[in-house]
Amino acid sequence: MTKKLRIVTFLAAAVSPLILAGRATAQQTVAPTDGEPVGPAAGATFANYNISQSWELGYRFASVGGDDGKYRSDVNYRNGLRLLSGSLLVHSLEGHGKWFDEIALTTAGLGNDPYQSATVRIQKNRLYRYDMLWRSNDYFNPGLVVASGEHLEDTTHRWQDHDLTLFPQSAFRIHAGYGRTTEDGPALTTEQVFTTQGDIFPIFQNVREQYNEYRLGFDARFRAFRLTVQRRWEYFRDDSTGAVTLPEAGTPPTTLAGFQSSQPDRGRTPSWMGNLIGEFSWIAINARATYAGGTGDFVQNEIATGVNGGGTAQNQQIAVSGTGDRPALTGDFNVTLLPASKLTVVNSLSFADTRMVGNNEFTEINNATLALSTINFQFLGIRLLTNSTDVRYRLTRKFDAFGGFRYADRLIRSTEDAATPATALAGLSAEQPNHTTAGVAGVNWLPLTGLRIHFEGEAGTNDNPFTPISLRNYHELRANAGYRRKNLSFSGGYQGNYNNNSIVVTSYSSHARAYSADASWSAKAGVSLDASYSILRLNTIGGIAFFAGAPVAVQTTGESIYESNIHALNIGVHFAATKRADLYIGYNLTKDTGDGRDSFAAQPTPAGQVFYSVQTFPLTYQTPLAHLSVRINEKLRWNAGYQYYGYHEEFGLLSTIQNYRAHTGFTSLLWSF
Amino acid sequence: MKGHQLRRGALSAIWLRPILLAGSLTGMLAQSSPPAQRFIGSEQCGLCHTDIYKEFYRNPHFKSIALGKDAPEKTGCEGCHGPGSNHMSAGGGAATIRAFSQMTPTQVIDTCLSCHSKDLSKANIRRSAHTDANVVCTNCHSVHHSPTAKFLLAKKQSELCYGCHEPVRAQFNMPVKHRVNEGVIQCTDCHNPHGNFAASWGNCSTSSLLSASHDNEEPCLKCHVDKRGPFVFEHASVRVEGCNACHVSHGSTNAKLLKRPVVFTVCLECHNGAGTFGRENLGVYSLSPSHNMLDPRYRQCTLCHVKIHGSNSDARFLR
Repeated sequence: MTKKLRIVTFLAAAVSPLILAGRATAQQTVAPTDGEPVGPAAGATFANYNISQSWELGYRFASVGGDDGKYRSDVNYRNGLRLLSGSLLVHSLEGHGKWFDEIALTTAGLGNDPYQSATVRIQKNRLYRYDMLWRSNDYFNPGLVVASGEHLEDTTHRWQDHDLTLFPQSAFRIHAGYGRTTEDGPALTTEQVFTTQGDIFPIFQNVREQYNEYRLGFDARFRAFRLTVQRRWEYFRDDSTGAVTLPEAGTPPTTLAGFQSSQPDRGRTPSWMGNLIGEFSWIAINARATYAGGTGDFVQNEIATGVNGGGTAQNQQIAVSGTGDRPALTGDFNVTLLPASKLTVVNSLSFADTRMVGNNEFTEINNATLALSTINFQFLGIRLLTNSTDVRYRLTRKFDAFGGFRYADRLIRSTEDAATPATALAGLSAEQPNHTTAGVAGVNWLPLTGLRIHFEGEAGTNDNPFTPISLRNYHELRANAGYRRKNLSFSGGYQGNYNNNSIVVTSYSSHARAYSADASWSAKAGVSLDASYSILRLNTIGGIAFFAGAPVAVQTTGESIYESNIHALNIGVHFAATKRADLYIGYNLTKDTGDGRDSFAAQPTPAGQVFYSVQTFPLTYQTPLAHLSVRINEKLRWNAGYQYYGYHEEFGLLSTIQNYRAHTGFTSLLWSF
Repeated sequence: MKGHQLRRGALSAIWLRPILLAGSLTGMLAQSSPPAQRFIGSEQCGLCHTDIYKEFYRNPHFKSIALGKDAPEKTGCEGCHGPGSNHMSAGGGAATIRAFSQMTPTQVIDTCLSCHSKDLSKANIRRSAHTDANVVCTNCHSVHHSPTAKFLLAKKQSELCYGCHEPVRAQFNMPVKHRVNEGVIQCTDCHNPHGNFAASWGNCSTSSLLSASHDNEEPCLKCHVDKRGPFVFEHASVRVEGCNACHVSHGSTNAKLLKRPVVFTVCLECHNGAGTFGRENLGVYSLSPSHNMLDPRYRQCTLCHVKIHGSNSDARFLR
């Protein structure tokens, strides 16, 4: 533990008994203003409706030094005028409005913040309810870790969803909905030409993806039952293209003179869902069945011209076409038994069968002389049957216990097939069954007024896990204790997960632990404090096999080790010394001390050095902020805030440092009436 | 019929409600009040609880009053708090009314489920991990003092969840994270705090609080629709074990929410040629001899294997 961290830890421990929350929960972003209303939300009455509004208009600024790409990936706030937040609430006073009884509109970040959203609810009692959600996320990622920066993405992801319910309070309701997701923008990808050992070139990509969903259904209540039926149609299309516009030089004499790729993909998934709920005095059932028949059609056309590593001119075209199908059937049946007032027994049975079947015809034409076609067929099937039984018994009003047993039976099947003009389809099929059994148990105890204690544990085993890192012999412990008394609360928790998956090369072992403590306190004098501190530790070790060496690579076995030791601190203090001004000061710290090393030690082998350098990733990320809100009059507040983002890596990640620091802030007027 | 059965029946069986409710509510109050309870109407409650009553038209539960057709035990204040005659005659007091602050967690759930049990999203609440931990309706919802426009949440959603899940707050404060604190994503986009059916991925080890996506798939696919497929060449571990085989969901110090700081250790920890694993029982494919890890480009696996989530063209995810 570093000296700074020890100081911070000590301060957190010393201050925590005095601290925190209540009204001033820690605010993670400096804007919009949150939790400081101008005055009583009385609104105005007009035509038998109450109308209340709140709008915060302001200017956000950001000044970034260091790695701007990493800043955009982590934070991404920029300069500009913003409608930081808004709300419009309209309620009919009697609940008998002519066209509607409620309108609730909320917005956040409109006007080019990287994170924008809006929600709308309009409803008229007994007749309809309409909900809309719209969100936008400007996504930037330099792609440094996964592809040396050659998979950069600068896209915008937008979501919208519309949901309409007719006769929402009746025994028969009709539901209709529409959802849409899009992702657009420039990106980079890479292409390896002209062989699998050839050079790799960055390719400009125009990302254009779209997903549309239409829903229609109903639910009907009959005596103690409610039946829900929903039909859904989903459509996905990907029209992304890739190209190089100017010749790019690789390792001499390799040159990529031109490249174009388009791979339109059209997917559709019609689906059914039926759900039956029944409630009786001592038994409740919940049964569901779904079927989805996913299908995708695609073609790919890729043309690359240039010179290969041998100095030969290349003119390569790859054409692929085919389909992929994924029918998925699931069924669930839950039974809840209530044989006595203190006893609850729940049994859950679930079945899922997913089959992925795909085929394509892959044709490669090189220099207009060589043509190679391959027909591929692939099948992957997953059949999963799970059953769990949970029993909960309340011994007293202050003590109850629960326990449960889980069982899963999974069968994974596959068939892989390929044919070329010289070989026929042969087919290679396999299947892998595996079973998981697990038990859970726990207690809830209220030993004193305001004091809650919860403890639970789970232990399980899988006889044939699918991957070397899957759960095999695992257990998990959770413990929480919390104390709440008027304006003061404390809580602490522990969660530990341990997995050991013994495999041929060596054993994979993962041990994760999370310790946390938080406290909050609200004083009548207008001061409230909130603080939390968590330690998240992860240690894993897994056997690996790889090729390394010079001049000839030889297979080597070794261990992949990863150690993460994250200390997270969150402190927030809210002052409202007078009714006119509110001041919030907060501090967030994420510090990974890694495995404690101060520098890289030399390793005996070059390959050992490669893996040693990525066993840990110590860094510090801190975001202090201050927010001042001053009441000008009963309807108006002036707000200003500042937030600092500091990111510092102790070591370079593969010799690359991404450190940055950013000064961000805003000033705004909040108008509520 | 025993008292507790009568109570539960009143709370759940619609066809029995008209007969049972009066008895059940009386039964629930029998411990603390005389049996001669009667309904007095919400207006009477408003005489003392003025602040709540005058704002109640904003409350979703106001619909029951506006409808004007429901029986007294199913509408307004007494729909949840039970008949108020004794409470009124006593001049108030938690002991003379069905006060949620005095209820056990089971009683709170039973009371709310008397209306909400048949909401599709809440139908699994009795088997949820929250119920096991005695986290019930009133721990998250504030019927009378909610600051949110929807769902009567007691706080902003993320703060509400962080209140118990402190390590999750720490995860969302990390440099790489889903944008929950920024407001573009909410916890309930991926989780159903009321419980859900068993997941179709993983193997009995996935939390029942995960909210499945389209057609019972991973919630990640609600937004990352391009990863959904179906693909001719599926990356089997993605389908079998789920996205968490390579990624962490909430936040991380690692780019792309990967489980490791660099991509090649993520891949190598599975692709080590270990036997008994994999689709063909031949082991998870190990690297070919051409992949010399001393060459930096082979440490950027996805530089070539660009379609690592699944490909329609190439079994090795090269295009």
